Amino acid sequence: MSEAPMKEGYTDGQKYEVFNREFMPHIDSMYNFAFRLTTDEDDANDLVQDTYLKAFRFISSFEQGTNAKAWLFRILKNSFINDYRKKSKEPSKVDYQEVETTYNSEDAADTTHTVDLRADAVQDMIGDEVANALNSLPVDFRTVIILCDIEGFTYEEMAKILDIPIGTVRSRLHRARNLLKDKLRNYAGHMGYDV
Amino acid sequence: MNLSSKTSEAAGEKQEQPMKHHCDNHAECMKMIQAILDGEASDAEREHFRQNMDKCMPCIQTYHLEKCIKDSLHSKVERRPCPEKLVAAIKAQLHN
Repeated sequence: MSEAPMKEGYTDGQKYEVFNREFMPHIDSMYNFAFRLTTDEDDANDLVQDTYLKAFRFISSFEQGTNAKAWLFRILKNSFINDYRKKSKEPSKVDYQEVETTYNSEDAADTTHTVDLRADAVQDMIGDEVANALNSLPVDFRTVIILCDIEGFTYEEMAKILDIPIGTVRSRLHRARNLLKDKLRNYAGHMGYDV
Repeated sequence: MNLSSKTSEAAGEKQEQPMKHHCDNHAECMKMIQAILDGEASDAEREHFRQNMDKCMPCIQTYHLEKCIKDSLHSKVERRPCPEKLVAAIKAQLHN
């Protein structure tokens, strides 16, 4: 999954063939991921285009038969962090380290989250309400939920995409879900659902 | 579903226990429940869940809530298809 520059390998014809066969089938998932990360259609367009062009440029480092979707998601995630996060239109980005430190120091994620939101209240919500709660999470927490619950990646695939150990995937997901439950509970209360 | 109370399992038999209304290990149980719903639990975790899933009310509620949120994220959150124009733009750029 490294992004080493072209060495050798595919002929020009093979490059197009691999690109079309292995990469293009994932373009809807890639766009969806980009849109959920940036929450902006124009930024999502740019991010997907940059990612696919980068994937083509570095296609020799993609090994056929390996997980193309995870490979592409990793490039998109890195492009987002390096190129888009700074200029994103979304206000008040929270640095992950800051959030993680806060949650670790208070140990809040592990101790205070008993069930205080009813499944029925979530069941009654429409998609936009769930999406708004998801979008309001800091991007690193949002990312693990998108990868796991929307895109269905395994923990192992997520670890590769995010460059973190599987144990960190698991604990970050746990924290992300606690945060999401907070958002959903606040939202449900605000909307008059019976929480 | 208290992770520390494995006495009945150790004895190799399932004993009738009253339903618990407080979970002493809820954070750990929640992580296990999430791993089960994600299809990532170990054999030991799955077995522990199977043995204890009907004994702890907070864990039963957590299971249903976590499952409901996961299902909602998967089925209700709109998936945006990639615009045709973008696909065309990418293909055009490749040939430049």
